[in-house]
Amino acid sequence: MELILQSIVNGLIQGGFFALFAVGLVLIFGVMSVVNFAHGELVMIGAYTIWLLHAQNGLAFIPAIGVAIIVVTIIGLLMERFLFRPTRDDPLAGLICSIGVLFILQVVATLIGGDGPSKQVPPPFHGTMVVFDSLRIPYQRIFSLVVSIVALSTLWYFLTRTKLGWALRAVALDREAAALQGININRISMIAIGVGGALAGLAGALMAPLTNINPHMGHNVIITAFIVTIVGGVGSLSGAVIAAVLYALFHTFVTVYFGGTLATICGLILMVVVLIVKPTGIMGVRVSE
Amino acid sequence: MLLEVSNIHVHYGHVAALKGISLAVEEGDFVTLIGSNGAGKSTTLRTISGLDHPSAGEITFNGERIEKLSADKIVKMGIAHVPEGRRVFKDLTVSENLLLGAFTRDDKAGIEKDMGKVFKHFPRLLERRNQSARTMSGGEQQMVAIGRALMSKPKLLLLDEPSLGLAPVIVQEIAKILGEINRQGVSIVLVEQNAELALELARHGYVLETGTVALEGEASGLMDNDHVRKAYLGI
Repeated sequence: MELILQSIVNGLIQGGFFALFAVGLVLIFGVMSVVNFAHGELVMIGAYTIWLLHAQNGLAFIPAIGVAIIVVTIIGLLMERFLFRPTRDDPLAGLICSIGVLFILQVVATLIGGDGPSKQVPPPFHGTMVVFDSLRIPYQRIFSLVVSIVALSTLWYFLTRTKLGWALRAVALDREAAALQGININRISMIAIGVGGALAGLAGALMAPLTNINPHMGHNVIITAFIVTIVGGVGSLSGAVIAAVLYALFHTFVTVYFGGTLATICGLILMVVVLIVKPTGIMGVRVSE
Repeated sequence: MLLEVSNIHVHYGHVAALKGISLAVEEGDFVTLIGSNGAGKSTTLRTISGLDHPSAGEITFNGERIEKLSADKIVKMGIAHVPEGRRVFKDLTVSENLLLGAFTRDDKAGIEKDMGKVFKHFPRLLERRNQSARTMSGGEQQMVAIGRALMSKPKLLLLDEPSLGLAPVIVQEIAKILGEINRQGVSIVLVEQNAELALELARHGYVLETGTVALEGEASGLMDNDHVRKAYLGI
């Protein structure tokens, strides 16, 4: 019983991370029709920023999160301007460019941190909240969960309640029809990848004290993001969030009872099953025209 | 002259879609382009609104050259395009679709007023303003598409096949509203398969055949033209 409760809580926290980077991937794919293979590396750079500034150089955790978000957002904007925009008419070229960025960022991380053992960031928030005797949640994890929820709620508000948010969804639905409303596609692409990058940077920063940091950590991130977006329905943001939480719970339970490797294998099988049985995902709608 | 298209050529890859089309629209005019599939009607509209760009020729709107501008800049100058197949934003509500039509505008009061005008033209949209466009019928989606275009406060409205796939009653309703919009001072270029309807509504007509203008003139004159009667009116 204790283990189940504890796993549910851990699963929800994990779900927050999954949602942060999966939603960014969906946004970028929706607006720009590019599958950003470097998305995991954006998360990795976010984590490295925390390690470098907070753990190595003593900058306080919260300002360091701010810097991580800014650094990753800038990388995203540069990718849009110099790689994805010139290759917009050729989705394959965009994808190959993003794979190039993936390797470049891995090398950059190795240059900064060396290729020794994984780095650890000591949790800046100490102590544990004792909900009741058998359920204890470290404050570090509570902080991550709260920040994830705030970030996702802000994004939801932006997309459903502001004119710019509608414009972003309009571009994702029909780029030409959006241009005919006077919406500047380049500007919206910048916003999409800026938001996606910021969320990836935030996810990396929040994960940093809770995970092993190394140049290849993006690998697990992108696999998870693919599973989540396909299960949730490609192009559906709410589907991605729901699938992120469900998959995180699933992954946590399988990890607790059977081990982490098996959990990822099960996740990939789940993705294949969804692709065969319901290719539109749990929230996806068939793409028309 | 509000819009002057002179001798434009458009290519899709190696295929020539337009081979030297010229046309003119005066302020307050109602012009129609008729012709069969592949004659270049849609391409002409797409080139005016900046979705496609001509390899040769000029387009002048309100005295300014626009043939090299992107679609979003052309909207700001006062041209709205209701594309073929309506292409409303299906996941968004009716009001969100309409407000996106006013994307280039900042005058809150004016937007509110024009929204009211759209609802006056199409009372059904007022009832369904919080419904997602996906749940609406084809005719209602066409109303959303036209309303969305009007929200940019255009001087010139381009319409591509607004009657396609709609029941005759709805077609009549939309035709009536296009007449009203024109009388309120918006110039219209209408592309239609339904030549009879188009020539009834419009003052001037152009007959397009394989990327060139085969005939042009007063709509009533074209209606009496033997070639038009045989080829497009089926009389």
